[in-house]
Amino acid sequence: MSNSSNKSSNQKRSKNINLNAMRKVNPLKPIALGAATFMLGACGTDDVASIYIDADDCSSDNPSFSAECQATYEAALQDAQDTGPKYETQADCEYDFGANACQQQNTSQGSFFMPLMAGYMLGNLMSGSRRYTPMYTSNSRNSPLRNRWFTSNGQNVGKYSTSGNQKYRVRQSFFNKRPTTTSALKRGGFGNIARATSSRTAASKGWGG
Amino acid sequence: MLRLPSLARSNWQALAKEYGFHFHTMYGETYWDESAYYQFSLQQIEEHIEQPSAEIHQMCLHVVNEALKSEETLQKLAIPELAWQAMADSWNEKHPSLYSRLDFSYDGKHPAKLLENNADTPTSLYETGFWQWLWLEDKVKAGHISRNADQFNSVQEKLIRTFKDISQFYQCRFMHFACAKDSLEDRGTVQYLQDCASEAGLDTYFTFMEDIGVDALEQLSDKNDNLIEHCFKLYPWEFMLREPFAKQTISSRVGWLEPMWKSVLSNKGLLPLLWQSFENHPNLLPAFFESDFAKYAHQSSHSSWVKKPLYSREGANIDIFDINTQQKNASSEGPYGEEGFVYQANHPLPRFGDNYTLIGSWLIGDEPAGISVREDKNLITQDMSRYLPHIIL
Repeated sequence: MSNSSNKSSNQKRSKNINLNAMRKVNPLKPIALGAATFMLGACGTDDVASIYIDADDCSSDNPSFSAECQATYEAALQDAQDTGPKYETQADCEYDFGANACQQQNTSQGSFFMPLMAGYMLGNLMSGSRRYTPMYTSNSRNSPLRNRWFTSNGQNVGKYSTSGNQKYRVRQSFFNKRPTTTSALKRGGFGNIARATSSRTAASKGWGG
Repeated sequence: MLRLPSLARSNWQALAKEYGFHFHTMYGETYWDESAYYQFSLQQIEEHIEQPSAEIHQMCLHVVNEALKSEETLQKLAIPELAWQAMADSWNEKHPSLYSRLDFSYDGKHPAKLLENNADTPTSLYETGFWQWLWLEDKVKAGHISRNADQFNSVQEKLIRTFKDISQFYQCRFMHFACAKDSLEDRGTVQYLQDCASEAGLDTYFTFMEDIGVDALEQLSDKNDNLIEHCFKLYPWEFMLREPFAKQTISSRVGWLEPMWKSVLSNKGLLPLLWQSFENHPNLLPAFFESDFAKYAHQSSHSSWVKKPLYSREGANIDIFDINTQQKNASSEGPYGEEGFVYQANHPLPRFGDNYTLIGSWLIGDEPAGISVREDKNLITQDMSRYLPHIIL
């Protein structure tokens, strides 16, 4: 027989489940977005971040942190090479980023045309830890992100401006390293058997069992 | 073990919407069914299900170890030869497993009999780990079920912990999650696992299997051209190893969940292999490969047998027949069977009222973590069988 207390240590069911994290709609909490406030991610603590176009821009805003400004800028450039958008041709890159916004780069994944990093977002330097991520902008009329600041995976952060005084409130997880990017030459090599099999099954719901 | 009628929570459909449980009703038929629940004793859970599940899991690992050393066995399992080395590598490098579901025929009195191991792409995970947990919380709060009631279900807790262990093992901060298009149920299950992985501190990236690409270096990437380094896929290995990207799947160094060595366990050939190694184990049923069946069937005391395809899902292509009369007692249709069959002694599911009841026993990592109860009006439990919650009292 089970123990009399629900919180007993030999309880055989999960003791705590974070119901808020499991909720997919929350009608009680409308999310208000301020002009210069950008919130992202479901968990973690907030950070007050700034976007700088380069290390000098950062140093002029944070005179006593110029070494950190330089180090994080160089790290962001390396990140941009790993995680930035990669294209097979200059034309494809310029279609998304605009004229003169792209150049050929040799990366660990091969040689690609990539947009130039337009700046980098930096978490609060006072906190002692170094949080940064490369930022991009586009001057292409084809891009829905034209004249916006956005991340390597296209997350729109706000209006493009080169003034370092604009502050952004982001989750610390916003700075987590993103996946390395590449450029696929072909797709559609998975799913054929699933399609063929499901067309022969009347009530197939999925590929689990 | 009892089946007890129960009042459905008046707001359960609103709750389902709030928590994103979108597949409680499918094709106009009830899938989540809280008009009744099953009640087990703690002894039934611990001695008849939990302990045998732990033991069978260890027996399964033994079978994997043996199978990967035998070309003859891998051939019998119809595993493509080009995958053999990569499978052995994934085993030797101890690539961790996230979960499995052992399906049992169990009536509350006699030893539970293993029907199969859903070791690669088991579903009904969200219903088990979260939704039936919430049901019990609500029912206890409402005073409909005793405060002393418990549930065999630490699935969610253990999933989060196992994701932490896996991110440690691979030293990864993010993970891809994938399933095939056009299934609300599969997408829901994958979302649940993404939620658990997030709780464990991982960033998650979703992609449909169909959108996966291959670059010039034969590496796999998602729709947004993010390189796939670690990936949970709710998509069967036996498909992946036969599709156009099989070569890249095998050569790439992706850390997969489930790991490739699980192909041995999700294969119905596991059943004869277990019987060969652990004949007469109380939780096993006699089982044979097609090639050995004629030789052994007549020495056996069983006359009713179940013929199952090596690869099949959701109870498709299964025949129950009598070896003496050669008469089929039940049969299900489906697209499987090309790779061959196994034969397992028939051990009918217990009946509770009008229903045949199947127990799914979940392993998270290497530990038994909970059960799911499925009911069907038919003898062969298929994908439209209903899910019922359970309690321990």
